[in-house]
Amino acid sequence: MPIIEQLKNVWQRREVLYYIVKLQMKAENKNKVLGFVWSFLDPLLLALTYIILVHYIFGRGGPQFPILLFAALLSWRWFTSSLSRSVTCVTSKVGLIQSVRFPLAILPLSGIIIGFFDWLFGFVILVPMLFIWEASFTVNILWLPVLLLIQVIGTIGACLIVAVWGTYLADLSNIITFAIRIAFYLSPIIWAVEETLPERLTTLYMLGNPFAGLLESYKNVLVLGAPPNEYALVGTAVGCVAFLVGLWYFSRNEYKLVKSI
Amino acid sequence: MISVTDLGIKFKMDKRRRSGALSFLLERSRNQQRPSGEFWALRHVSFTVDRGETVGIIGRNGSGKSTLLRVIAGVYPPDEGKVSVDGEVSTLFSLGTGFNPELSGRDNIYLNGVLMGLTKRKIDGIIDAIIEFAELGDFIEMPVRTYSSGMRARLGFAIAMHSDKDIVLIDEIMGAGDAAFRQKADAEMSRIMGERTVILVSHSMATIENFASKVIWLDRGIIAAMGEPGEVIEQYLAASKVKKRPLEEEY
Repeated sequence: MPIIEQLKNVWQRREVLYYIVKLQMKAENKNKVLGFVWSFLDPLLLALTYIILVHYIFGRGGPQFPILLFAALLSWRWFTSSLSRSVTCVTSKVGLIQSVRFPLAILPLSGIIIGFFDWLFGFVILVPMLFIWEASFTVNILWLPVLLLIQVIGTIGACLIVAVWGTYLADLSNIITFAIRIAFYLSPIIWAVEETLPERLTTLYMLGNPFAGLLESYKNVLVLGAPPNEYALVGTAVGCVAFLVGLWYFSRNEYKLVKSI
Repeated sequence: MISVTDLGIKFKMDKRRRSGALSFLLERSRNQQRPSGEFWALRHVSFTVDRGETVGIIGRNGSGKSTLLRVIAGVYPPDEGKVSVDGEVSTLFSLGTGFNPELSGRDNIYLNGVLMGLTKRKIDGIIDAIIEFAELGDFIEMPVRTYSSGMRARLGFAIAMHSDKDIVLIDEIMGAGDAAFRQKADAEMSRIMGERTVILVSHSMATIENFASKVIWLDRGIIAAMGEPGEVIEQYLAASKVKKRPLEEEY
């Protein structure tokens, strides 16, 4: 089974993954005056932009808007930054790839892990905010790791596919950047499904956007103290399929990638 | 130690493959065929390398020398034939192309060590020797992008030499660096000769003649000659002079 083989190879070389992640993060922060403080400032400033726009200028989103937004935005940002990194993960490491044999899947994976650290830094900011805007804490918070797991599985699948395409298509990164921007507005991040969509369209929409159920679930468990949105199952199903397809597709193309760079 | 049988490595001719998604779709919808075809970077290549042997590879640019090293390093799987490598291979660093320019020399040593399959403890043990050998001094804490090409080459060479791998691949690394370093590199080469298996690619016939016990001359992906260093080098030099014109006319 190429899929199992691929997972085994990555696991055997996990130390490489560890160093690539560690050193990449180090390199990214090195040239900045504030360095690692940006890891906290970045999500905060991003959220602040939308909070000012939606909450204060348009006066929408309800009293808990800042934390509803932040809860969804953090996870969205993790997904999209992983995708963007994956587009160029092979072409930016040509010298390395041509020097030594290692499982190339490590490259998109390292981007996902770095993105997860960004999520964690953002989460550190989110926690005090949850207290300030009086989120309801219930046992449903225990769903959070499950949601993260669903997300990481789907993200791995998507990133593996994008990593292959990005190697062949030079302008994929422009396309992805644009697609991510559109998808941001089409997903319930600065708006909520229940308040915005007419009820007859809800089912159709939630089936069509696999990320929507997941985003609503993050808001439910982190802010509203409610169980996950049932449409998170759509995201779970799509994520699992993407995971398997991605691993299979990447394994099939790995050696072709090495030769085409 | 290394046995290569009827090795063939094939590349797609389409050099424009990294094109835009839009043109890709347009061509597809118009049913246009991109110029296709294959190009054998290496073909029918067979040789063996014994344990402790130093093999030199010579040939003109584009003759498949680096491709051959990459095959031995496991980067390219053979499209044809068989390659068996018995032993661990050091990373192939041709003039330090595998370094991350944003990271310090020290971090790059760790990254490359781990990629080669060394443990952190092992790297901890050899890192001082590597830094000293590469003569980088305080530069070791600076990003590699600030290094001169000679410094990069020295670092790459130092890592390959200290990794204790059975097989060392060296691609044009000996030519870099100043006279003093080259002398040290030569001494180091002499020291490991016989102990470890070395595959050496170089355009410097003096280097090849000094170290190699066997020379392979690659010409457009095919072994043109193989054997005693003196003889093969002589043939190669003779052929380069005589054949230069007709070779170029083919393009």
